[in-house]
Amino acid sequence: MGDSQYSFSLTTFSPSGKLVQIEHALTAVGSGQTSLGIKAANGVVIATEKKLPSILVDESSVQKIQTLTPNIGVVYSGMGPDFRVLVRKSWKQAEQYHRLYKEPIPVTQLVREIAAVMQEFTQSGGVRPFGVSLLVAGFDDNGPQLYQVDPSGSYFSWKASAMGKNVSNAKTFLEKRYTDDMELDDAVHTSILTLKEGFEGQISGKNIEIGIIGADKQFRVLTPAEIEDYLAEVE
Amino acid sequence: MSRGSGGGYDRHITIFSPEGRLFQVEYAFKAVKASGITSIGVRGKDSVCVVTQKKVPDKLLDQTSVTHLFPITKYLGLLATGMTADARTLVQQARNEAAEFRFKYGYEMPVDVLAKWIADKSQVYTQHAYMRPLGVVSMVLGIDDEYGPRLYKCDPAGHFFGHKATSAGLKEQEAINFLEKKMKNDPAFTYEETVQTAISALQSVLQEDFKANEIEVGVVRQENPVFRVLSTEEIDEHLTAISERD
Repeated sequence: MGDSQYSFSLTTFSPSGKLVQIEHALTAVGSGQTSLGIKAANGVVIATEKKLPSILVDESSVQKIQTLTPNIGVVYSGMGPDFRVLVRKSWKQAEQYHRLYKEPIPVTQLVREIAAVMQEFTQSGGVRPFGVSLLVAGFDDNGPQLYQVDPSGSYFSWKASAMGKNVSNAKTFLEKRYTDDMELDDAVHTSILTLKEGFEGQISGKNIEIGIIGADKQFRVLTPAEIEDYLAEVE
Repeated sequence: MSRGSGGGYDRHITIFSPEGRLFQVEYAFKAVKASGITSIGVRGKDSVCVVTQKKVPDKLLDQTSVTHLFPITKYLGLLATGMTADARTLVQQARNEAAEFRFKYGYEMPVDVLAKWIADKSQVYTQHAYMRPLGVVSMVLGIDDEYGPRLYKCDPAGHFFGHKATSAGLKEQEAINFLEKKMKNDPAFTYEETVQTAISALQSVLQEDFKANEIEVGVVRQENPVFRVLSTEEIDEHLTAISERD
């Protein structure tokens, strides 16, 4: 990884023991569009703002929430191009696991591998850390799971979490509203309300994206029409 | 001594600044503007048109060799705005990639796949210190089998989006403002309207009327999905139509 000219790490310790490049990467994440995830009793929902730079952009050509395997989905806050790289690597990791074990990759294993890649880029020569935090939502034999992975490569399992510009308000909102026995539908409504909290402008099916996975273990991204239905219920 | 700023190298290679920015990427965007050229792309109902200025700085230059419009395959075109040398290397690699795709998979590389490839390559340059980002914004156009006419724009940061209309270069923001007004109600432009919207946008934003040899125009049409660069005669026809319309 990296050219031989740069076989030294660009991410190095400061005198106070901090890895400043990672901190800066987290700052980049913090200026990204808000995203969040909620783990319900019978599924997981992840959602994000989808604010595009101009009305001239064809919003159907952009999909921020990606499917990593049929039962695992992911959303990000931060730098879109970096996200694409991680998604591509994850697809390959999932496929390699399946080829070896003849089984779909468990959520924890995939999260661990993505995190390992992100950590590599904080230590290898000639590269910078990824400027994204990820929320990975999946449903496997261990039930519904939600993981957050940071640029440092550290990951935690969450009941509900948020990232990006509006992270503190969103997390406060989620802390108040979260209950352990939430159903998936309630979680979708709560995620919409949370996004609405910090939303500039009129929220609609075209400027947010929502992905859900239920007991059917099929991750899918909701269509704008379906989002509009949920929005109407929330009003 | 506090090393909060990464040793001052955050402006020289693509590492994060304390605010979480990549200065080299931002400077690459400035390099695109420094070329002094503005480009416009418009997607119609069944065609896509891209227009760019053709500035030949020296009378002794061979005009035919000055171009920013490149066919990548018979069906895909690329308009490169910014540093010409960076553009040429990108075009060379894109042509290779598209040819390999056709060979490996047995069908023509679709527009969005090419755009994604360019964008992913640009992303690598933003993450690895050994290569600087390219000072080019690429507009890729073609007719997709499923989705019809398609226009994508890829930038030095590795972003790419599909566009109904877009612009790049020196007067990018003014052109986008102009186009937003024109495309507000999702008009479905015919081929002629598409070309004329693109050319008149450029004329309005630069506040000058062009002669046919001062601009380059590239099109793809659903009825004949090959990428074509218009001849000066064809450009003249459109220019005349625009001036008669006004």
